[in-house]
Amino acid sequence: MSNLLKILLIEDDAIEVMKLNRAITSLELKHQIIEANNGEEALEILKKKEILPDIILLDLNMPKINGIEFLGILKEDDTLKYIPTIILTTSNNQKDLLSCYKIGVAGYVLKPLKYEEYVSKIESLLSYWSINELIKV
Amino acid sequence: MSQDQLDILQRALEREKKARKAAERILEEKSRELFQTSQQIEQLLQEKSSQLQGIFENIVDAYVVMDLDGNILKFNEAATTLFGYDLDIESVNVMNLIHKDDYQYAMSSFLDLQTNGLFKNYETRVCTKSGEVKWVHVNGSLVLDNTNTPIAAQGIVRDITDQKTSKEKLIESENRLAALVLNLDSGIVLEDENRKIVLTNKKFCELFNLSAQPEDLIGMDCIAASEQNKLLFKNPKAFLERMKEINLDKKPVVGDELEMLDGKILERDYMPITIGEKSKGFLWTFTDVTLKRTYRKSLEAQKQKYYSIIANMHLGLVEVNNEDEILMINQSFSEMSGYTQDEVIGKKGSELFPVEGGSEIISQENENRKQGKSNSYEIKVKTKQGEIRYWLISGAPNYNLKGEVVGSIGIHLDITDLKTLEFQKESLLLELEKSNNELQEYAHIVSHDLKSPLRSIDALVTWIKEDNKGKLDDVSLQNFTHIEGTLEKMELLISDILNYSSIGAFQIEKVEVNTDLLVKEIIKIIYVPEHISIAINKTLPTLKGDKVKLQQLFQNLISNAIKFINKPEGEIVIDVTSKDGFYEFSISDNGIGIEKQFHDKIFKIFHALNKSKDSTGIGLSIVKKIIDQHEGKIWLESELNKGTTFFFTLKK
Repeated sequence: MSNLLKILLIEDDAIEVMKLNRAITSLELKHQIIEANNGEEALEILKKKEILPDIILLDLNMPKINGIEFLGILKEDDTLKYIPTIILTTSNNQKDLLSCYKIGVAGYVLKPLKYEEYVSKIESLLSYWSINELIKV
Repeated sequence: MSQDQLDILQRALEREKKARKAAERILEEKSRELFQTSQQIEQLLQEKSSQLQGIFENIVDAYVVMDLDGNILKFNEAATTLFGYDLDIESVNVMNLIHKDDYQYAMSSFLDLQTNGLFKNYETRVCTKSGEVKWVHVNGSLVLDNTNTPIAAQGIVRDITDQKTSKEKLIESENRLAALVLNLDSGIVLEDENRKIVLTNKKFCELFNLSAQPEDLIGMDCIAASEQNKLLFKNPKAFLERMKEINLDKKPVVGDELEMLDGKILERDYMPITIGEKSKGFLWTFTDVTLKRTYRKSLEAQKQKYYSIIANMHLGLVEVNNEDEILMINQSFSEMSGYTQDEVIGKKGSELFPVEGGSEIISQENENRKQGKSNSYEIKVKTKQGEIRYWLISGAPNYNLKGEVVGSIGIHLDITDLKTLEFQKESLLLELEKSNNELQEYAHIVSHDLKSPLRSIDALVTWIKEDNKGKLDDVSLQNFTHIEGTLEKMELLISDILNYSSIGAFQIEKVEVNTDLLVKEIIKIIYVPEHISIAINKTLPTLKGDKVKLQQLFQNLISNAIKFINKPEGEIVIDVTSKDGFYEFSISDNGIGIEKQFHDKIFKIFHALNKSKDSTGIGLSIVKKIIDQHEGKIWLESELNKGTTFFFTLKK
């Protein structure tokens, strides 16, 4: 029996947001998506601590606060630091990969070119996290 | 018979009686006298004998009597002491006494004795009972009986051992002296009152270029000789006159210097030799001092040479004592520092010039000098004009003749220009590194920014297709497929450009790489179509290189080979040859081949000869770049439609 996840998607590209929503829909999954267009917005949502997501999907290349900076802020927070954060990016920059794991991420997924491949990656990702026991604050 | 006759007879008888009586009386007297005389003689003989006996027994020298067979009959006390034999308890033959080396001589002397009845001044060695060898002097004679027949021999033996040794020593020392004089490194002439040569030596002959032997010159006239010798000198007249002067004075002269024509310089000494009041002659000594003089001169020249080097060199020179007080500076240092010598003499170098901790460096270095260590170091200084300069100082301890450190000498080189360049280089390098990093970052961001829209387009195309299933005609579907292909091409291009720009960005990290494992691994990973076989001819070597980049190198070349095979049965052969200092790898295929004119071009970026779906033209550029980074070479042999072989070298 898999859990239904509350997923915070931090993504500035509208089509990317559409992609995730459409993927979940086409996969017929019932997970809840919370959208944040950038780091600040995401922090606002998280600071309220009303709805805490189960997992965070984070894009790295964003204006203002970039993904790595956002990750740093998240890890500073005693509550938020426990939320598994999975990087979802096109950057296979070794440096980024290293610094992400250094700060602490739950995963690093490259966005493939092909949409079909994307859907299958998302499916695996979500099914994995939905069978995980998560800290509910 | 007549009375007369009878009377006559009577008277005659009477006379005869009287005469006989007188004769008897005389005879009686004479015999008494004779008795007395013989009594006296016997007494005298007895006296003389005992006297003689006493003399022989008591004389200091040994007295020896032997029979004609050489058996010793008698030793006096001295003889007993000398030879060590006691005749009372043992018998001795003269043969026991004679030294074996002097045997012949003893025999001939004995013959002399027999012929002449005596021998004198016989000097020989003898052996004593204790085996000691002694030199003795012997006078001997035969002892005759009243019929003049020899019955024994006697001799007086004197121990001359001590005399002999001291004489030998004297001879020895005389010989030594003679040898010394003969071989003396100074030429010597001893002349008598009449200026005739008494003694000279080899060196003299040598100095005056005489072919004669020293002994040949004895008796020669010195005045005549000097007339001849004067030609050897630069100033013959002066030579003669000075000689005459000295001769007249008869006073010691030391250290006259004479220059000879052949360049030799002689030192002449004159010494009258007197024993007591008596003049024994005059000693001239000539010493070759050429070397000494020229040595001094060359020393002087050397000193001058180094002095001018020091004075004129473009390096600043400073001499300081142990207290770091400046003793001397040269012209260059004066120019470098802006100070004149007078301004700095006695001042401390460590206080005058350095800035920013230079004083401590100098103090530390001065301690090193005291321990005899030399060193080079850089300091930042301020000149008299207040200009900041950088000096490279090479310091070495300065020793006195006793070998004690009395200070140090520093050679100063102004390296300000170099230093400026160094600083420039450093900042340029920093800048370069920074901009390299920025570029790298930039490449990543650009590639991300370029790739993101591709993903979006692909998603959108997919959605259009999904949302319009069954509504689109074949041509539209075909075009969508074209869009997707183009997107893939674009994606590959971006990835390759990023790869290419990444290669040069980082220092290559060389580790041991087993290329055999590496290549086999690649073959497993990449897609090899069924109709293509890959053969590795030999076990590939292990070498030093950047593992990731070497993997990329092999992967690109193998993929390339696969890509361009157009035969129904593809063959790829990987081989290696070990060469001097490097390995030569080859990867050959039986593909389409490359025309000669393009062989160089293909390694240049964006020069793909066959632009296809999976070829961006960057792969070989990456290969070339990796080879360059590993200091290797790459080239190819190819025939159109037959195949291509890529060769490349990697250092061992």
